[in-house]
Amino acid sequence: MMTLVIGGAASGKSEFAERLVLDAGNRPRYYIATMQPFDDECRERIRRHREMRAKKQFKTVECFVNLEQVTLPQKGVVLLECMSNLVANELYSLDGAGDAAVESIHQGILHLTSQCEELVIVSNEVFSGGSDYKGDTLRYLRILAQVNWMLAKEANIVYEVVCGVPVRHKGKGRTT
Amino acid sequence: MVFVTGPLYSGKKTFVKEWMHWDEESLSRNAMWNVQDLAAGCENLEQLVEKLSQKQVVIATEVGGGIVPATAEERAAREAAGRLACLLAQKADTVIRVFYGIPTVLKGEEIL
Repeated sequence: MMTLVIGGAASGKSEFAERLVLDAGNRPRYYIATMQPFDDECRERIRRHREMRAKKQFKTVECFVNLEQVTLPQKGVVLLECMSNLVANELYSLDGAGDAAVESIHQGILHLTSQCEELVIVSNEVFSGGSDYKGDTLRYLRILAQVNWMLAKEANIVYEVVCGVPVRHKGKGRTT
Repeated sequence: MVFVTGPLYSGKKTFVKEWMHWDEESLSRNAMWNVQDLAAGCENLEQLVEKLSQKQVVIATEVGGGIVPATAEERAAREAAGRLACLLAQKADTVIRVFYGIPTVLKGEEIL
């Protein structure tokens, strides 16, 4: 089972996604973290978040590129956050998939779903602030949109979180 | 007239083509898209809406959700696009919002 949670900045999407995982019961919980520690600020943020999640019995698995390499020790519930980071890493990291980002992420997602009971993916809604983009920004938006489409298609349930309120676009959810 | 809106690259045109069973040519003939761009510098939005609503389907990208633009020109364009979308939604029998390929009826009795 796969759930996609999309929302804008500070929309409450992470809290909601985390709640979905906790509501899934007492099973092994994995957090796939996609943020690369570029500087001390990143590292501090990552440390704080790791500590918070450890209290909720999440085991953190870092994956900056190539989801297909992830191997989970047990079948459980997986929270992947955030797809917008992963797409940026695939496009701009030296070891990223580049133009094959959508296909690489698609294969990675299928690989993950085969290893867990439930997969919750958080992605970012950054497409309502304009329509005139150029260069790298345009390329990034195009690829992230294609990834979001693909995820919405694969997912059993799709939520958009608006001001902390989940709006269900697809499937039947446990909450709301 | 059906008004279709949604974020950038959310699959608005793809949805309309599938829903109406249109090919690219039918879409060009019966629909107008990117109409948010027509709002900027338009003297009379009501008149523009009248003209657009002769089409079967009118499509606009939501552009009001980001940071307030830095230049007055961009701010005015964004305002106009928002007002145009409101007027189109008022005029339309059916309003559909497409979110990553998933359509939701915001107005009207249409069942998808």
